[in-house]
Amino acid sequence: MSRFLNFDTLALHAGQVVDPEFGARAAPIYQTTSYVFPDTDTASSIFNLERGGHAYSRITNPTVGVLEQRIAALEGGSAAVCTASGMAATFCAITAILGQGDHIVASTQMYGGNISLMKNTLPRFGITASFFDPTDTDACRAAIQDNTKLIYGELIGNPGLDILDLEAIGKIGADHNIPVMIDATFNTPYLCRCFDYGANMIVHSVTKWMGGHGVAIGGVVVDGGNFDWGATDKYPTITEPYAPFSGINLWEEFGPSAFATRIRAEAMRDIGPSMSPMNAFLLLQGIETLSLRMDKHMSNTMELLDYLSNHDQVSWVNHPSLPSHSSHELAKKYLPKGAGSIVSFGVEGGREAGKAFIENCELASHLANVGDAKTLIIHPATTTHSRIDADALVAAGITEDMVRLSVGLEDVADIKADFENGFRAAKRFAKG
Amino acid sequence: MYFEINGKQVFATTGGKPFDKSKPTIVFLHGSGFDHTVWSLQSRFFAFRGYSVLSLDLPGHTHSEGPPLESIEVMADWLHDIFESLDIDDVSLVAHSQGCLVGLELASRYPDRLRSVSFITSGLETPVNDALLNAARENPESAIAMMLGWGYGSAGHLHRGPIPGNSMVSGGRKIMRGNTPDALSTDLHACNNYKNGVAAAEKVNCPTQVIVAGKDRMAPKKATDKLIEHLGSPAVAVIRESGHIVPQEAPDKCRSLLKDFIFKNNPTT
Repeated sequence: MSRFLNFDTLALHAGQVVDPEFGARAAPIYQTTSYVFPDTDTASSIFNLERGGHAYSRITNPTVGVLEQRIAALEGGSAAVCTASGMAATFCAITAILGQGDHIVASTQMYGGNISLMKNTLPRFGITASFFDPTDTDACRAAIQDNTKLIYGELIGNPGLDILDLEAIGKIGADHNIPVMIDATFNTPYLCRCFDYGANMIVHSVTKWMGGHGVAIGGVVVDGGNFDWGATDKYPTITEPYAPFSGINLWEEFGPSAFATRIRAEAMRDIGPSMSPMNAFLLLQGIETLSLRMDKHMSNTMELLDYLSNHDQVSWVNHPSLPSHSSHELAKKYLPKGAGSIVSFGVEGGREAGKAFIENCELASHLANVGDAKTLIIHPATTTHSRIDADALVAAGITEDMVRLSVGLEDVADIKADFENGFRAAKRFAKG
Repeated sequence: MYFEINGKQVFATTGGKPFDKSKPTIVFLHGSGFDHTVWSLQSRFFAFRGYSVLSLDLPGHTHSEGPPLESIEVMADWLHDIFESLDIDDVSLVAHSQGCLVGLELASRYPDRLRSVSFITSGLETPVNDALLNAARENPESAIAMMLGWGYGSAGHLHRGPIPGNSMVSGGRKIMRGNTPDALSTDLHACNNYKNGVAAAEKVNCPTQVIVAGKDRMAPKKATDKLIEHLGSPAVAVIRESGHIVPQEAPDKCRSLLKDFIFKNNPTT
């Protein structure tokens, strides 16, 4: 093997060593808390980061390790650490480098949990955030303070679907020696590899399209290995000796995987939001078909965009693939295979019409998730984004009549027929 | 740690323990385009077992100030300058690929400074094909891809690896991208131009070890056989499943072989 393997091959094989004992082709589920050491020297070596290996499944696990290496391969990152959820990944990634008195510049268009984390939870630990409109990169630059240590955004904003101009944001980060962390949940590495455009770290809720079947919660942090932590003294957790591991200097010892190693050494040990081996196995099965699923998600999305755009009960449709979308050109640049399978639209008749539509769809499931193989719908203003204030709702582009659609893999004719049931029920709320 | 050699900043990791010249010293030297991190799973082990460790970045590589050094002979002198500057003797040199050529030259020029040399995946010469030399000069990204493509074996290309979650190939790419732009080109030209391997090998008088990779496309068996032949009677080991980047691809076997050899030839007590 002398050439780099392509995406679909990596999605099937990366990270896995075929089980040497029984030859199991699938990655075995190592449902164990701990591992027998062959001798005390090996044990101490693993604990002291002198060698690879597993000691306790809160820190590392062989099944989870396959998933981590597979995602690192697909993203082009130097290392990955899986976590119990996407929110755990975000929290661990942020707190690996930020602490009391530090500041984040973040996009306004983010998952409600991310907004709440940065507005409510992190300030309790002394970490504050300023927010910028993702369509205004100058606002990102202007929001940077002396204590800013991170720029954070979602490539495809949730739920307004504005696309972050990643190269421009990456340049702002590079100009200020500040890493750029991107939540790439909505795009997956199949639609865009964010490290190719200036991201330094990537987080995912792998619960969504990466896993793709709505059966396992999980998250991952991917280290791009492309940030020069030593160029500034702002990141002592990476560049200064770390006492719990005999004063190890992670930047010096591990170079391009220093950030991931910090998460592994600190967050997974001291906080412990680890992914279960069973979830890792389920997520691996999903990733094996990532490209097939994403292509189908995209083709169904394009058909539904055409259907919704021409429906007389739809007041507006929002998706970056539409020429009317303000991010259309950025979508063509960063997401040429498709700008994701989230669509938002307004049902004529406002809030009550939207409610009737949702309640009368039968195939499309009304629930708080995205990226399932099945089509999902929800009313963000009263659910996923209900805990953020009115101003933030407006900033996030959420309106009372908005229905968020996560396009699934069903036969698209059946999705349209299901929606017709919803529209029939909503018709009585439409004007005229 | 950082120190100055010939007016330039040089970086070496010390494996997590302060450098102490009173202890036996192990110097790790990386190959073309790489840096000290290729030794992460060897250097720290020895540092915590009574050795002083210097895992160096060659000039122009990662943390060491450029420009890169233009010949193997100059690299050998530079390494000797480090020994002089830090006042260290009885060094066990552990070298990978290009570093082995430097090791040959160093051992032949300054035989009294070395207690042992471990050669990992190298011949007596390293001829570099024109396509790679040209790419390194004109299109470094393409040259990096060639180096990684040929360098890593299946474990690298399948993103398997000894450290859970880490991708060797992706990490290697970041390291090569992080060097000064001419580092890889300069390294490869230095390798290609080095012709003194036979003469140098025959002057080596300290214990030597040769570690061969069974799936090495950059230093194939016929090349390593010549090194073994001219070194006299080195300790030889073959790691069958590994590609060229043995310290990363087969770190446990590599460390075990180094441990047995260095503990025997340069003991701490």
